[in-house]
Amino acid sequence: MSFGSSYLTLPDFRYIRPKTMQEALQLLDEHKDEAKILAGGIGLLAFMKERLVDPRWVVDIKALSELQTLRDDGPKGLTIGATVNMNQLLDFPPLKEKYRALRDCIAVLSDPVLRNRSTIIGDICEALPFVDGPTPLLIFDAEIETASVKGNRRIPINEFIKGIAETALEPNELAVAVHLKAPPENSKSLFLKHMSSSEFSIVNVAALCANPSRPESRTVRLAYGAISPTPKRVYEIEELFKRKTPVQKLIDEAVEVVKKSADPMTDVLAKAEYRSHMLEVLTVKAFRRLLGS
Amino acid sequence: MTQVINVKVNGVSRKLEIKDNELLLDVIRDKAGVKSVKAGCWRGECGLCTVLLDEKPVKSCLVLAVEAHGREVKTAEGLAPEGQLAPIQKFFVEKGAMQCGFCTPSFVLTAHYLLSVNPNPTESEIREYLSGHICRCGTYKQMIEAILECAKQQNQSSEAAAKTKR
Repeated sequence: MSFGSSYLTLPDFRYIRPKTMQEALQLLDEHKDEAKILAGGIGLLAFMKERLVDPRWVVDIKALSELQTLRDDGPKGLTIGATVNMNQLLDFPPLKEKYRALRDCIAVLSDPVLRNRSTIIGDICEALPFVDGPTPLLIFDAEIETASVKGNRRIPINEFIKGIAETALEPNELAVAVHLKAPPENSKSLFLKHMSSSEFSIVNVAALCANPSRPESRTVRLAYGAISPTPKRVYEIEELFKRKTPVQKLIDEAVEVVKKSADPMTDVLAKAEYRSHMLEVLTVKAFRRLLGS
Repeated sequence: MTQVINVKVNGVSRKLEIKDNELLLDVIRDKAGVKSVKAGCWRGECGLCTVLLDEKPVKSCLVLAVEAHGREVKTAEGLAPEGQLAPIQKFFVEKGAMQCGFCTPSFVLTAHYLLSVNPNPTESEIREYLSGHICRCGTYKQMIEAILECAKQQNQSSEAAAKTKR
């Protein structure tokens, strides 16, 4: 990520590679804001080159084996550790069907070489609007597990991202894993994005649907991101889709609800009006694909 | 802070004195003296600084040199020990898959890795896999031909080898 800086070097810092979780957490507790976490380093090193971040300590967490956890516990959901890279996720079978929206999102994130280093937790902790990772996590009710010397806690993804580059993470906390809840049986999900020529999202949408033809047990979820500082799940449409009205009518109604719920911003990538229009386009496309109309 | 890292560069174990804030890109070029690794954008977009770190491609402008401690770095030179070109390099030459040649080492490395994990890629898979690399001369077409041809030849020779075994 860069906006035209000419910095080619990194500022001075001390590199540490803790061997145990306890050591890592103590370092964070001692140095707090002066320490930054290095996993894939894609965001961190780019920000440091631009002097947007200038830590005294860089803590490399790749020696902590517990952060390599990648586990599907069936109905109990999916756990992705902090140092699991994007290519590992693409190769992980449960993402091919059950958590498809997350896979669709990762498959178009940056490029295959960067994906050997980049991590989904890094994506979330950057908390930049045009970063896609959080949007599909919203439809799987994901929670971020954090650790500190005081213990672990879990923060729902919609409370974790508070604003542009702002998260609920305390300075002495380490995001150790993201937990996804299992989607309903037989559900299908997808992720769509409209991006700028530099591949930053202007709008992204993740959606999920189970039992499209049975109104009483039909589940529909939709979340969007990149159009405002924080991504959002539109809970209002979820009850609406339980009605027995013909699907096409429900889609029309839901699209209006989605559009109204958004507060699109204007920035260097796109104007608010354009974002709002593209949100509608992607939402219609998502609903049509999932509800077969 | 200065420290010494042990890193295998193209099969040779090296001890390199580095600072914590040095990039793998700079250390490989200036301290290990391997010049096929190029600096382009410095921000992970152009792919010219790609090296194989423990056999996997990474962009060395976004990797700290200290992270390579105890690991192996391979570059285009490492694919051709003693001047014997690797198959993918031969096909790049045969198909004329370069113009100025500045980006060629990085494309060769990523293509080499792609064929090691996917011996029979489709054209669209190749395009997708090379999407993190930029060639300003625009010789993508020839590069894709080279990779497809290399895959074809390697598959034929491995089939032939399998037949003689039987």
